[in-house]
Amino acid sequence: MKRRYEGDTASSRPTKALRPSGVDHISQLSNELLLKILSYFYTLAEDSQLWKAAYFNRFVRPRVARIPGVSSQNLFYSSKLSKWLEDEPLVRAGQQTNWKRQYKLRHNWSRGKCAVSEIEIAEQPSLPGMLVQMGNGVIFTVDSALGLRAWGPRTKGELIARTALKAPDTDGIPTSLAVNGCHSAGEDPSIAVGFNDGSFQIYALKLEDEAEFVLLYSHPPSNGSLCALAFSYPYLLSMTSGNLLSLYIFPPQDNASSLSSPRLLYTLGSHVVGPESSLAIKPTSTGVTASVAYALQGYLCGWTVGIQEMRFSLSGELTESRMATATDGNFAPVSQEVLTPAGVGWHPLYAKPTSISYTHPYLLVTLPDNTLSLYLVTSTSSLSISPGTRLWGHTSSVSGAHVGGRGKAVSVSRKGNELRVWELEGGLQSAKARKRLLSGEISIRIRPEKSTSAADLEISQIGSGLAFALTQRFDDTSVTPGWIGFDEENVVVLEEKGQGSQMLVVYDFAG
Amino acid sequence: MSAATEQPKQTLTVTTNDNVDIVVEREILERSVLIKNMIGDVGEEQIDTAIPLPNVNEPVMKKVIEWCEHHRKDPPAPEGDDSDSRKKSTDIDEWDQKFMQVDQEMLFEIILAANYLDIKGLLDVGCKTVANMIKGKSPDEIRKTFNIQNDFTPEEEDQIRRENEWAEDR
Repeated sequence: MKRRYEGDTASSRPTKALRPSGVDHISQLSNELLLKILSYFYTLAEDSQLWKAAYFNRFVRPRVARIPGVSSQNLFYSSKLSKWLEDEPLVRAGQQTNWKRQYKLRHNWSRGKCAVSEIEIAEQPSLPGMLVQMGNGVIFTVDSALGLRAWGPRTKGELIARTALKAPDTDGIPTSLAVNGCHSAGEDPSIAVGFNDGSFQIYALKLEDEAEFVLLYSHPPSNGSLCALAFSYPYLLSMTSGNLLSLYIFPPQDNASSLSSPRLLYTLGSHVVGPESSLAIKPTSTGVTASVAYALQGYLCGWTVGIQEMRFSLSGELTESRMATATDGNFAPVSQEVLTPAGVGWHPLYAKPTSISYTHPYLLVTLPDNTLSLYLVTSTSSLSISPGTRLWGHTSSVSGAHVGGRGKAVSVSRKGNELRVWELEGGLQSAKARKRLLSGEISIRIRPEKSTSAADLEISQIGSGLAFALTQRFDDTSVTPGWIGFDEENVVVLEEKGQGSQMLVVYDFAG
Repeated sequence: MSAATEQPKQTLTVTTNDNVDIVVEREILERSVLIKNMIGDVGEEQIDTAIPLPNVNEPVMKKVIEWCEHHRKDPPAPEGDDSDSRKKSTDIDEWDQKFMQVDQEMLFEIILAANYLDIKGLLDVGCKTVANMIKGKSPDEIRKTFNIQNDFTPEEEDQIRRENEWAEDR
């Protein structure tokens, strides 16, 4: 129908006769009429079904090739039958998904395209350091001077709530921070703060009208500084600097404004050394699994990664505790490996990892030699870690990385001016993945489009064009101590400026 | 509609801006909300006076009347048009398609007249016709179709292209 019509218009003689005069009738229409004409396209451009199909074809279907074991059936888009893999929540019944927005968001991620803004969170350096965590679209920061604060990246990064730390009877310095990972929609986010005296506190961020922190529970000081926490209500896992792991369970909450004392389920010494470890806790149908991923030094040289996993039954008994180390380090039997280190084709880590991020099954470490190393953890009847795969791409020392459940990871270099997004889904063992790795398609450098801070504008005026402004955006004296986090829409990096101030740099992909 | 008792075949006269009087059945002419309201305002006694239409010429008015005649039995356009016109597709029924096979000057004149006379159905058909002429075309093709001058600088064009690159077909 459409075709015929257009054809007719083009070939009708009066039109042709008019052509030479070249009268532009359409531009003379009033805005109101133009808008009416274009409104038909608006309908089309906002058609969620079209965007949904486009999203499926571009972002869901290609992933299947990367994931072994997913049948290729139901991989052609049809609104009811398609398999959406981990994007399933988007198509859940009753869910109003803005497919156009989702499509644009994913496109921006795939191109590293985002807007960047900075939030100054402290004018002075914090001692021992600013702790940052991110969850439910809120960034939490804590340090001894400024207390516990919440920042909303979605609302242009303003401070939405703050509270002084009400340590019970000590002047505890906060040493660890964790966001509740087991958070159901519509619930207020809650966080756990650990202190150097072994005490910890649980806060909820009430988000009604005016957001505020409510102290739900305060735990008395105990076995030494808490250097790491993992929180997945009702479970809390803590690790002290003396490598003592403790698992707590909170009794069911009977009112929203406080929590009763948790029960200590288990305490055990760990072999983990040093603060470069990643705690995780995951409730399962049969109980709860707690894990610690850590770096350990080889007998003779080099480093490798290990993981300790503990399973607890619902009644809180330790049913299993097991450990594994990556097979590529120098931890394998001394006799073989050390004799022929060069010949066997593995890459031991010669330097101590700068950070570890573990989201099952992905274990990602960052290294000072400009690379990252990815391991896949298998946790079935036995626990094992695959050989590591080096990830190249950064051009300076990598100080922090964060890997999410879908195999998406972000990493930042120490100098702060280089962020990369990695698609590590399915690991890198397959030939296809190796090809992507070698061709450099596995990661994309984040390229902020425009900045909202005044300093950047000045620079872009000096430089020639946008590219110059971007590479010069960070002043040379700023460093990223290593904290980096992301969610569906944002990457957030903690940055320390030369003058001592601390910034959260928010990269927004939703633009 | 005070004393407007149904008088079949009652006629009215309109005077177009090129000074032509056209005699039309009242029922047909009342597809125009503007004229219908005018009659209501001036009252039945004035009905014999010719209605001046300073914004429409004779050929265009003839087309408009032709459309109104064909659509004389259509139910009146529902109020609150904006939201529901968006849901509609750009499909046009066959008679209307044929009716709209006119040169561009006439097409836009009809749209302007339909807008002025407040004939929603005709305005919709006209706008859909233009929308269909835009549909599926590249910016350059659209410019050519409507003789639109490109008043963007290459830089501006590049900028716009970059901003919308995400939505492009691949």
